[in-house]
Amino acid sequence: MAMRTAEASSAALVRVVAMVAAVAMMAAGRAGAVWVKLPNSGTKCVSEEINAHVVVMGEYSAFYEEDMKDTPTISSKITSPYGNTLHHKENVSSDTFAFTTTESGNYLGCFWVDSNPHGSEVSLNIDWKTGIATKDWETVAKKEKIEGVELELTKLEGLVEAIRENLEYLKTREAEMREVSEKTNAWVAWFSIMALAACICTSLLQLWYLQTYFRKKKLI
Amino acid sequence: MAGEGGGSRALFLMALLLTASLYGVRQASALAISVTDRECVYEYVFYEGDNVSGNFVVVDHEVFWGSDSPGIDFEVTSPAGNVVHSAKGKSGDKFELKGLRAGMYKFCFINPSSVPETVSFYIHVGHIPNEHNLAKDEHLDPVNVKIAELKEGLDSITAEQHYLKARDTRHRHTNESTRRRLHFYTLTEYLALGCVSGLQVLYIRRLFSKSVAYNRV
Repeated sequence: MAMRTAEASSAALVRVVAMVAAVAMMAAGRAGAVWVKLPNSGTKCVSEEINAHVVVMGEYSAFYEEDMKDTPTISSKITSPYGNTLHHKENVSSDTFAFTTTESGNYLGCFWVDSNPHGSEVSLNIDWKTGIATKDWETVAKKEKIEGVELELTKLEGLVEAIRENLEYLKTREAEMREVSEKTNAWVAWFSIMALAACICTSLLQLWYLQTYFRKKKLI
Repeated sequence: MAGEGGGSRALFLMALLLTASLYGVRQASALAISVTDRECVYEYVFYEGDNVSGNFVVVDHEVFWGSDSPGIDFEVTSPAGNVVHSAKGKSGDKFELKGLRAGMYKFCFINPSSVPETVSFYIHVGHIPNEHNLAKDEHLDPVNVKIAELKEGLDSITAEQHYLKARDTRHRHTNESTRRRLHFYTLTEYLALGCVSGLQVLYIRRLFSKSVAYNRV
């Protein structure tokens, strides 16, 4: 480290500045996200169950586990619950994606390592935001000309609204599930009675058939 | 992780910390991963004393009898390497711990059975500026502390909602599995009943058929 020349440290500085610029985008909604380790072969998938008409924004960046100067290249694929590919990128170190969901269901994002010349573990930073977290508060602040405490309270108001919507959604889901449960309950009763009736019918049919058969054979 | 100057990941984290201190941090991740053997998720805690809270629910539960699945184990490891929280054999749990150190915390899900399970988790790292931060930064009011506390309260409600939604999803899977089993087993039951009674009749006919009867006589 004592051997570091001036050009190496300036290159590092340029990288820091570039990183800060790239990360400043993330900080608008949420700085920091979850890290996962990518295996050298095979894919790692994360998923989330999202409703329709929800804005989803995400960013991911890949790094080597041991600090090295370069970054690994990975590929990603985001699919909708019906199987449509919403985002597909190959051979990148970091990327962003944004889409609005059209159907509700399980959205799957899969990542895999393209090339790993160093052979060290790859760790991936995934920042996956949905709904209220994607709201661009900077634009709202500029448009409505609010700042400071008022802006913070407006953000909280948005969050409370999102919580209320979420609660309504949970209520509808619970109502749907209750209907399915009650239908299943009714079916259990109906099918059990029918099974009993079928049993009795079958034994009566057997008795009648065997009586006719034995009479025909003159055994009774 | 202290890179020797050129580490791009260390730089990335430094940049995150820089922007976190400028813009404020709001960290929450809600995702679901499929756990075959052991899956670990990492979350970076920027300030010491932050509250790390979250929950997880095992959502995809394809087992035949309920007692077959022992649930999954959960472990949280601090950046120092010691396990700060662990839970065994749970199908869903909430956790809350204080991040006594800043750094990368590791949240691991361990699946003891051979069947892969999907785990839906929510991890939230909350920071409330305290008097020390207030003294350092003149832009911060005591109002900001109250607002941060309010935001933390709302974030905890959001965490509960994620947990409820994941539990509801699991319940829904169980219900749909019950419905499918009901239809399948009832149909099989009727078919089996019909087949067995038909076979009984055929067998009795055979017992009393001419070739057998005359041999008995």
